[in-house]
Amino acid sequence: MATPAIYLDNAATTPVLPEVRDVMLPFLDATAFGNPSSRHRFGRVARAAVERARAQVAAAIGAEPGWIYFTSGGTEADNLAVLGGALAAKAGGRPFRVAVSATEHKAVLAAAHAVDGLGGEAVTLPVDGDGLVDLGGLDEALAGGVALVAVMWVNNEVGTIQHVATLADRCAAAGAWLVCDAVQALGKVPCALADLPRAMLALSAHKIGGPKGTGALVVPDAHAVHPLIHGGGQQGGLRPGTENVAGVVGFGQAAERAGRQAHAAAAHVGALRDALEAGLTRAIADAVVHAARVPRAPHVTNIAFPGTDSEALLMHLDLAGVCCSSGSACTTGAVTPSHVLTAMGVPRDRAVASLRFSFGPQNTMAEVEQALDVVPQVVEKVRSLGAVLRR
Amino acid sequence: MTRQRRNQEARQRVLVAMSGGVDSSVAAALLVEQGYEVIGATMKLFCYGDDVPDRPCCSLDSIADARAVADRLGISHYLLNLEDRFGRDVIGNFVDEYAHGRTPIPCVRCNSFTKFRDLLAHADALECDAIATGHYVVQRDGALYRGRDANKDQSYFLWGIDRSVVARMRTPVGECTKAETRAAARTLGLVTADKPESVEICFVPTGDYLPVLEQHLPSDAPALAPGPVVTTTGTVVGEHQGFARFTIGQRRGLPGGFPEPMYVVAIVPDACTVVIGTERDLYGRVVTLDELNWLTADPPRPGDTCDVQVRYRAPAVPARVAPNGGPPGSLRLELLEPVRAIAPGQSGVLYDGSRLLGGGIITGQEPRWTSSAT
Repeated sequence: MATPAIYLDNAATTPVLPEVRDVMLPFLDATAFGNPSSRHRFGRVARAAVERARAQVAAAIGAEPGWIYFTSGGTEADNLAVLGGALAAKAGGRPFRVAVSATEHKAVLAAAHAVDGLGGEAVTLPVDGDGLVDLGGLDEALAGGVALVAVMWVNNEVGTIQHVATLADRCAAAGAWLVCDAVQALGKVPCALADLPRAMLALSAHKIGGPKGTGALVVPDAHAVHPLIHGGGQQGGLRPGTENVAGVVGFGQAAERAGRQAHAAAAHVGALRDALEAGLTRAIADAVVHAARVPRAPHVTNIAFPGTDSEALLMHLDLAGVCCSSGSACTTGAVTPSHVLTAMGVPRDRAVASLRFSFGPQNTMAEVEQALDVVPQVVEKVRSLGAVLRR
Repeated sequence: MTRQRRNQEARQRVLVAMSGGVDSSVAAALLVEQGYEVIGATMKLFCYGDDVPDRPCCSLDSIADARAVADRLGISHYLLNLEDRFGRDVIGNFVDEYAHGRTPIPCVRCNSFTKFRDLLAHADALECDAIATGHYVVQRDGALYRGRDANKDQSYFLWGIDRSVVARMRTPVGECTKAETRAAARTLGLVTADKPESVEICFVPTGDYLPVLEQHLPSDAPALAPGPVVTTTGTVVGEHQGFARFTIGQRRGLPGGFPEPMYVVAIVPDACTVVIGTERDLYGRVVTLDELNWLTADPPRPGDTCDVQVRYRAPAVPARVAPNGGPPGSLRLELLEPVRAIAPGQSGVLYDGSRLLGGGIITGQEPRWTSSAT
């Protein structure tokens, strides 16, 4: 297609930053290919790089380097926290029960389901119309005894920021861990793990300009989690296996940058997001921004265009060079409403007519203006197609 | 991009229906080769649910295959969900026809309603100039002709599409033999090159359509209820377990003990009756069609002759349009030689040589055994 594509799907993944690529390259070359566990000089070079990355990630989220366990990404970190946390609780004679908010990422929901399958129990915490966890439901779950509560810091579909400090306090008071998927929070909203009692975080590199296939679980107490994979003694045995050195190094650089530029980056993407929202709600009278009444992360917006369906919108937008997403991945062509919007009480016809636009540092106001040219036309076109196909 | 701008670039945009099979894969590849701007689309038409084994068509594997081919060709590919419409226009009609003692051809309905109407609406919204499939049929100067491979020719299934659509059809594999199509797929390195042929109806996963009827019809539906099996002279010779299990020309499931092989020669749904007769009773010399559709501006008139084909893969036979063609909207054809097993619900398709003229649905009023006996 001749039209230059506009990438507004940064919550799905981001381009690797040039400075990240630069620091990774030596570890893909013959110079710094060593195994961090080796005693010789090649090993030392790699080990030093991994430890530096560990410190960079720790600094970005207000944690100690020793709390960082690198994983293959956010999904593994979520699984390690929820399933590993539940297994540790069971072994320690604590409740083999987890509570997860209804709007968690599928990685958390599926891990909780796995706890259920292993003879434990998974409790779902309801959310309100803006996606905030209902504190009454939380208290009820805590009173019933749970090993951990999983509530994501920033929702990946609508951007709702949870009251993490409040949640952490209540969990700690009840002796439960707060598992916080902070994949969409890192670099977007201030995050400091040290301020939270009994909390662990899941992180991912590729959402912040780092490489895919790298993430971390950040947990202050290694005994709170049981390993899910078994091998050599790397990373205290909690997450064994030879480290993905190049990936980890890239993650470290991306995390450092995310921490360093969080304020400016948030202002930049926030301005773009607000301009898009304002323009679209002006051009399309019945467009509805989800979770608009509560604080949201600055890089994401989720908008319903009544009378459309997201699959058709995505197709026409792709052809017109605007790349965004619907809430949930759709592999079978079946139009299934997003579980997040459904949990928020959004009616089905509106949920399946919703698109997520998400921004990154590389986006420009010119791109937003171009999107504002394209999206209303596409919405109109899909509405008339729908009318034809309903005849 | 607007259509005007694309025309300036002299590149036509075409939407290719990619089932994930070899024919439509090669169709897409050939159109890319011919310089079209190609968009691939796989239609999701129905859902097997979780408990049906994978199938060569319309399954998730097929969607993945279509995607893989599109990626290989470097073209866009999208999934279009047409389940609701297909369920109503094709599956619903399929069930309804069996419930009325007829033998439907869902592929005809799918072409007329789903592919060349609903998919076309998507093509229009995507500002496509043309629409393409992997059918073995040839479009030339706004007319359709039989595919070059006589064994694979699929023109029989295409009589029902709107005439105005024909000129926008692209039929790149129509000039190929099946062997050539497979060879082209191998040369192009397409993952679908050696996929087995899909021969069954796509939404009848096991090849047995009865479960589909049982799922959609009430349990007390007459079509699924026991009824008499009678001979052409009216003698009751047994009981059947639902006339929807039978089609004209069928031998399976009939009572035995006759001096010669017996076949279903008629189904009388109002009486829940299956009529059986001999091979001779299967032949008819008259076909009446309704739901007519013409792909020519000049349809045959009373007294005109043409060729008519009454089943897929059956030879076309010469016929004359009857001077007094039955009720309005129908067409009565006198066959110049008797034809075996003319089944109501099947298509009667008219040709002038290899050119497809149009066709209609065979109606059920003609008692074949009396016409062949007289």
